[in-house]
Amino acid sequence: MEANVKRVASVLIAPAPHMVGDGFRVHNFFPSGYKLKMSPFFLLDYNSKINFSARKKPRGVGVHPHRGFETITIAYHGAVAHHDSAGNSGIIHPGDVQWMTAASGILHKEYHEEAFSVKGGDFQMVQLWINLPARHKMSPPKYQDIKQANIQKHYLQNNGGVIEVIAGEYQDLKGFASTFSPLHLFNARLNKGGKAVFTFPSNFNTGFVIIEGGIRINDEEVAGVDQFVHFSNEGSEIKIEALENSIILVLSGEPINEPIAQYGPFLMNNSEEIQQAISDYNQGKFGYLEE
Amino acid sequence: MDALLEPFKIYLQHKVSITDEQFYLISDHLKVKSFEKNEMIIMKGDISSRGYFVLSGLLRSYSIDNKGKTHIIQFAPEQWWLSERNGMLFNEPSDFFIDAIEATKVVIVHKDFMNEAAIHVPCINDLNNNMLNNSIRFMQKRINMLLSATAEERYLNFITLYPNLTLRVPQWMIASYLGITPESLSRVRKDLAHKQFRT
Repeated sequence: MEANVKRVASVLIAPAPHMVGDGFRVHNFFPSGYKLKMSPFFLLDYNSKINFSARKKPRGVGVHPHRGFETITIAYHGAVAHHDSAGNSGIIHPGDVQWMTAASGILHKEYHEEAFSVKGGDFQMVQLWINLPARHKMSPPKYQDIKQANIQKHYLQNNGGVIEVIAGEYQDLKGFASTFSPLHLFNARLNKGGKAVFTFPSNFNTGFVIIEGGIRINDEEVAGVDQFVHFSNEGSEIKIEALENSIILVLSGEPINEPIAQYGPFLMNNSEEIQQAISDYNQGKFGYLEE
Repeated sequence: MDALLEPFKIYLQHKVSITDEQFYLISDHLKVKSFEKNEMIIMKGDISSRGYFVLSGLLRSYSIDNKGKTHIIQFAPEQWWLSERNGMLFNEPSDFFIDAIEATKVVIVHKDFMNEAAIHVPCINDLNNNMLNNSIRFMQKRINMLLSATAEERYLNFITLYPNLTLRVPQWMIASYLGITPESLSRVRKDLAHKQFRT
């Protein structure tokens, strides 16, 4: 094995799912499913592909607050409508990404988009929580609506597929999203036999979600659909080959080495800041959003 | 001693002067029990001789009126007591329901516990009196709130008493506890948010 290879630490199956509201049936890979070193990524909820029956009243999650981090929603099947207390709203269709920086505090709600709900059908999503460095936790909220058409794409050789650069950088191609700490987020859509190489600094915490298909990694490990691949913090180069047509969500980021205090929807550095967040939320300092 | 009783021991030691050995002597009368989310614990009409001290999770007591509407009497999150005194002290059927809003762990305290514990630890009577007085004070305040306070005053009092419940229970339950409609609670929260953003 070459010295510079970033090796697979573990290939993990999806933990038992739970419902978030009535619209999201998610497997939590971390922090509760598995204890993984993944900072700045704090939470990964994976809604594996599931068929929702048609329903007039959209399923989803009602108004709730967030402070101290960003929520990133990546759609693969189905569509989600979003509204927040900063006045932003949008629909996340397959291929789109919504990057919401809650930072100092925001209220939002997420429901199946109406037309999708009425028709029903396959639904598959990822929601990530990305931590913010302490100095940015109380920044103003921000919203990046990233449509598929705006996502930078690197086409692989030999009709291997495409790397969609959502954030960070792949082969000098910079992603659309701005971030508060160094990180990379890609959707790798590979055709069967397609090959790609990723290079990340060894200290970057790195993982893959296999959204569709299956891949061979570094010529030695194999991972299949709905699995999470966690990489070691040694070496920097990862080679993959698609065993069938595949979609892989690639995450890699520089750890934020700061203390963490979490309570429900708040992610801060200490318990005083958590108490403050609860108090601010109760007193209306996050604004207001109609149910 | 059941290791799960440890937080209850710490709670008691915080309130009265009781040694580890004394707690060990009285711990025979205590039992830890888990309830699942939404599990019914006491039904209206039951005669219950037990009180509950919440170690983790959340209980509520409530009544249901003739029209089927729920009225929440009390929430009991961590470190709160909840009991149904009709049964516990008067051997009469309960007017209320008690259930678990979240998966909950409690210490079950039998009605005779305080008397039996006082044999080994006399100062436990002081704690009992103190808790009783505190409970009466709490109820007096609550009656006054329900009779005389505005919806906003009731909400502001609620978030002081139960800071994190706004994140743990649905709005309608808070409205039910406050004796206002969910729409009215929503209006209160909207007005508060607007005040915050004007200042």
